Amino acid sequence: MIGRTGTRPVRAPVSWRRRGDRAAYLFLAPWLLGMAVFTLGPILASLYLSFTEYSLVAPPEWLGLENYREMLDDSRLRSALVVTFTYVFVSVPVQLTLALALAVALNSGVRGLRFYRSVYYLPSLLAGSVSIAILWRQVFGGQGLVNQLLDRFGIQGTSWIGHPDYALGTLVVLNAWTFGAPMVIFLAGLRQIPAMYHEAAAVDGAGRVARFFRITLPLLTPIIFFNLVLQVIDAFQSFTQAFVISGGTGGPADSTLLYTLYLYERGFGSFDMGYAAALAWFLLVVIAALTAANFLLAKRWVFYGD
Amino acid sequence: MRTRLPRPRRLAPVCLAVAVALTAAGCGSGDDPASGGTVELRFGWWGNADRAAATQKVIAAFQAEHPTIKVKGETTDFNAYFDKLATEVAAGGAPDIITLGGAYPREYGDRGALLDIAKVGDRLKTDRIDAAALGNGTFDNVQYGVPSGVNAISAVLNPALFQAAKVPLPDTDTWTWDDYQRIARELAVKLPAGRYAVADPTRTDMLDVFSRQRGEALYTADGKVGISTRTLTDWWTMTTALRDAKASPPAATTAELQGQPAPEQSLMGRGLAAMAFDWSNQAKALTTAAGQPLELHRVPGESTAAQPGQWLQASQIYSINARTRHQKEAATFVDFLVNSPAAGRIILTDRGIPANSQVRAAILPALSLDESRQVKYIEALTPKAGPPLVIGPTGSTDTPGILDRLNVDVLFGRTAPAAAAEDFVKQVRSAIKE
Repeated sequence: MIGRTGTRPVRAPVSWRRRGDRAAYLFLAPWLLGMAVFTLGPILASLYLSFTEYSLVAPPEWLGLENYREMLDDSRLRSALVVTFTYVFVSVPVQLTLALALAVALNSGVRGLRFYRSVYYLPSLLAGSVSIAILWRQVFGGQGLVNQLLDRFGIQGTSWIGHPDYALGTLVVLNAWTFGAPMVIFLAGLRQIPAMYHEAAAVDGAGRVARFFRITLPLLTPIIFFNLVLQVIDAFQSFTQAFVISGGTGGPADSTLLYTLYLYERGFGSFDMGYAAALAWFLLVVIAALTAANFLLAKRWVFYGD
Repeated sequence: MRTRLPRPRRLAPVCLAVAVALTAAGCGSGDDPASGGTVELRFGWWGNADRAAATQKVIAAFQAEHPTIKVKGETTDFNAYFDKLATEVAAGGAPDIITLGGAYPREYGDRGALLDIAKVGDRLKTDRIDAAALGNGTFDNVQYGVPSGVNAISAVLNPALFQAAKVPLPDTDTWTWDDYQRIARELAVKLPAGRYAVADPTRTDMLDVFSRQRGEALYTADGKVGISTRTLTDWWTMTTALRDAKASPPAATTAELQGQPAPEQSLMGRGLAAMAFDWSNQAKALTTAAGQPLELHRVPGESTAAQPGQWLQASQIYSINARTRHQKEAATFVDFLVNSPAAGRIILTDRGIPANSQVRAAILPALSLDESRQVKYIEALTPKAGPPLVIGPTGSTDTPGILDRLNVDVLFGRTAPAAAAEDFVKQVRSAIKE
């Protein structure tokens, strides 16, 4: 709008637009209300609580920056960070590599694509559930399926979820098993690559491997980037599997103490809701920083084709 | 979250009538006793399916006596129970009657979440309740709860496994910790593969026993850490020796079991361990799960100790939510749970030997062999038990978690017993803000 430039205000269109706005806001109202009450409110409350000591039962007491200062020399927080970063940096690449490999294989004209796509996608729908985590306990427990299989070959296995060196590995495997969701996105991305590039390269004598690395992969980088950002954020927020598999403890010996699990334990186990809120805000900063880093790095390797 | 509103189906006609007569606002008070409706109470406890079935029967018996009070039971397993409870208390939606135990009555009571039982003394009598057990629910002269029954830690033995190994059962009236280790080693050699002489004995209540036998305690009366690093080092030196002798299971198995507190999942409950330490009221659940008769015995080292390490304590505490809108009805229900022989005959010994002497006498004829063994165990122990346990201060509910973590480090050989002992004291001090 031009504003007060001396010309007479054009009233009719403005009020018309306002009326349109009003209707829009009216229709948005349920969502806005929900957003304010169920998302914005709790977010602000959590920010406030992070500066207090709050035991859930008694009213919060103002502490200032004390919770954040405590985080500096919290040794369990350090081990939770180590566990979480290990989990994210191992499980996301494993999962994405698996997803891409399967997507490429399925895209090469397999019969029954729809069937396979659905079957491989299924774990992504189930893996976040408590029942699958319980199943995982049974599979990787001392008397579990894995050890029964190993037993056939004369190998004596240990309790994989009970051993501090392997317990996190079972979580990585569980996360890798959910490759279906990124796979479906990769499949859609593969479909977008014009066939003529492949045909031209084939005419020039490029083999399958060369075509994958020279054509498919570069053109797929935006999709890989998208999946990477999504899965990194997702992995940072993993909770259910570690909670169920370790019986809510993050054990054995904190080896599966994912950040969110530690946050939960401090909040609901030790009644340190204020500290837990501070942990949540720190996690937000960490995820935001990593996502920003992801976007900065993306300029070096993501190819948008124009 | 559960709402506190009454069941819509049954009260819908009431609401409708109120709405027609006055305004819809009348619905909110539909559960007020004065309006002639029934009061609905929520009762939360932890435990297995058998306990849930028995408790439902008790609730039915109570409702038959008090038709205007309706009780809704809410149950989960032990681990989930306290997580859920913390959330519910924070949200103001905790059950009206809350089952607690150990350091939890103080944890919640100090924070103002529990009703002082003295306020409802006219409805809830405590004069026949065992004094020591009653003391476990009293902090700073405020009675935060009433004990469900009396309990003691015990050595649970599986005679079938002793027999299979052809090792005689120990004389548990006089046995020492050296005897315990010697027998464990002997069993380890003679038991078939896949069976263990002992389940790893490390748990906070056994640290209580072990330190009290030496004149210490896990916590001092003024709320500090009382156990010495020397005692802790000796304890872990013993358990690592048991591990090395393959008398206790591999570290990974012990670690896996940490996340599974149910008696059905324990080595004793699966019939895989010849000796374990557990609470006497678990005897029935363990026996049922194992499918073999199990025996309760005194723990090692009691007869030669500076003072007996064992004690009698409230197995569980029934508390009333400070925010309940039905204090009187809740008190009536708790009174029924602890003082009524009718309720006692259903619960039997599942929540400890009834703390009310009258109820205890009433249930004796109805007890099975296993259950009467439990009563005998407690009665034989009573004159030999040490002083009441000093219950941990606020923050001490973190101690089992701290112990579990360090125990895994010790059993996997990542930390030496002495270093773990130092670390334990340091971490517990920080948890209780000493």
